[in-house]
Amino acid sequence: MIEVNKLTHDYGHGRGVFDVSFTVDKGETLGFLGPNGAGKSTTMRHLMGFTKPQKGEVKINGLDCSQEYDKVMRSVGYLPGEVALPEGLNGRQFIKMMQGLRKSRNDERVEYLLDKFRLDPGGSVKKMSIGEKRKLAVVTAFMDDPDILLLDEPTSGLDPLMQEVFIDFIREEKQRGKTILLSSHIFSEVEALCDRIAIIKEGRLVSTVDAAEIKHGLHNIMTVEFDDPKDFAEFGRSELEFRLRDRSSLKCSVVVDDEDINKFISLVRKFRIRSFAEHSVTLEEYFMHFYKNERTFGGVLNA
Amino acid sequence: MLSLPLLKQSIRSNAVMWGSITGVMTLLCIQFSMLDMTRSLLFTIFYGMMTTILPGIYVLVTANKLLASQVDRGSMAYVLSTPIKRSAVTFTQAFYLTGSLILMFGIQTLAHLAANAANPIAMSTLGYTMLQGDLTSKMIMQVNLSALMVCIALAAVCFMFSGIFNSSKYAVGLSGAFVGVSVLANMLAMFGKLGVEGLKNFKYLTICSFYDYQSVLFANNDWIEKMIYPALIALAAFAAGSLVFRRKEMSL
Repeated sequence: MIEVNKLTHDYGHGRGVFDVSFTVDKGETLGFLGPNGAGKSTTMRHLMGFTKPQKGEVKINGLDCSQEYDKVMRSVGYLPGEVALPEGLNGRQFIKMMQGLRKSRNDERVEYLLDKFRLDPGGSVKKMSIGEKRKLAVVTAFMDDPDILLLDEPTSGLDPLMQEVFIDFIREEKQRGKTILLSSHIFSEVEALCDRIAIIKEGRLVSTVDAAEIKHGLHNIMTVEFDDPKDFAEFGRSELEFRLRDRSSLKCSVVVDDEDINKFISLVRKFRIRSFAEHSVTLEEYFMHFYKNERTFGGVLNA
Repeated sequence: MLSLPLLKQSIRSNAVMWGSITGVMTLLCIQFSMLDMTRSLLFTIFYGMMTTILPGIYVLVTANKLLASQVDRGSMAYVLSTPIKRSAVTFTQAFYLTGSLILMFGIQTLAHLAANAANPIAMSTLGYTMLQGDLTSKMIMQVNLSALMVCIALAAVCFMFSGIFNSSKYAVGLSGAFVGVSVLANMLAMFGKLGVEGLKNFKYLTICSFYDYQSVLFANNDWIEKMIYPALIALAAFAAGSLVFRRKEMSL
């Protein structure tokens, strides 16, 4: 349903997107994870037809997003990362305007959404808080019940309670068969909602993983503490993937894949152990692993 | 082509500016045509300057708000996230800009017609001693039509900059320079007409020279011919602005 094929758009100074390819199938939710400035919004803007690809193509429902954006938009609901709403309107008028532009008259659903997110659209948009503006944008993105949803950092500006309401709501939408592309830098929300996760770094896709894999743990890290330095030394010589070998505390951390667990346990049983701990790599750790090195813009460090 | 919901939003968000400029222009017109102190200046000051300065300010601010500022602020993203073509956006906004100017001049013309009917003004008091009789309703309508055409051209040029740029700063900067030079050169040129030899050439610097109320008062048809140029400028500028807006990369 959503196809991004070798999308390249270079804005100079290392900014932009380079050779990004992914697809989102019908009914699937793809999480688009990356820090600020990694190219998440840029990719979204190509899907919305605001910008044309320099190379590659971007399609929704088989239609080219930069050429036939008006047709594409019939089945797309978009939640922009920015909450700058049109001037001179109150919330109700904004909803009416968006209904008019979308040629939709689903008032029941509007009321349902207003109620769900506890929003009073009466006041002037100018005086609304960022959270209220965001809610208003959420209502207009979902009111026409579109099949495809492009959500650009949807929960930023919402309070924790509303973030939860929103996440529950997206879960419902998923169950109703919606195709969703969700960009975010919040691990928990991506972890909670997405079937697959694409990680973008400096404009390039670095990894696409199944959410199920991550939930289970990508791999396990076992930390073993020994009593005897001799044991520590011998264990340290075995053919394992060590993360840490600390002589002073006699601790070793080892990366163990699921299929090697039995082998690992039988090896450990040969030694006298003071303590043993195991933890799984979370999405956050997995993600951080891709981001540890700092990025620079034209030689200037971007702190 | 015309999008009613977008038109409504444009009317709402520009109502205050439109209302106040229209109000000021109408009140000034009534004042200049009714009060003995100012009647003789009705054409030199009011029709000579105010009918280009006031609409000039209006189109400068409004044209920017219709396109460039919405792209700059990001609110255009909401409009373009609906099944609307960019060409419908530019058409609607150009329609609003032109329509609101027509309405502005319409109201001020009606006010002047009423004031003139209640208190007719002799041509000789306007400083045209060689002309007989009173200022007629026909002349008032013709003068306003001539001014309106030039203002539409000013609007179109501002609209063009608004369509081209993604940032208000450039759209307002260039539009402001254009409107400012046009209006100021027009004022200087007027002094030239009144006898200051050195300022005569300023009339070549401004499209306001296509607005020719003297030709109306002298009942020759120059003003009709002169409307062709601003009409062409307006068409070209509206077309250029729309074309660029339709194709450009938007920083949304």
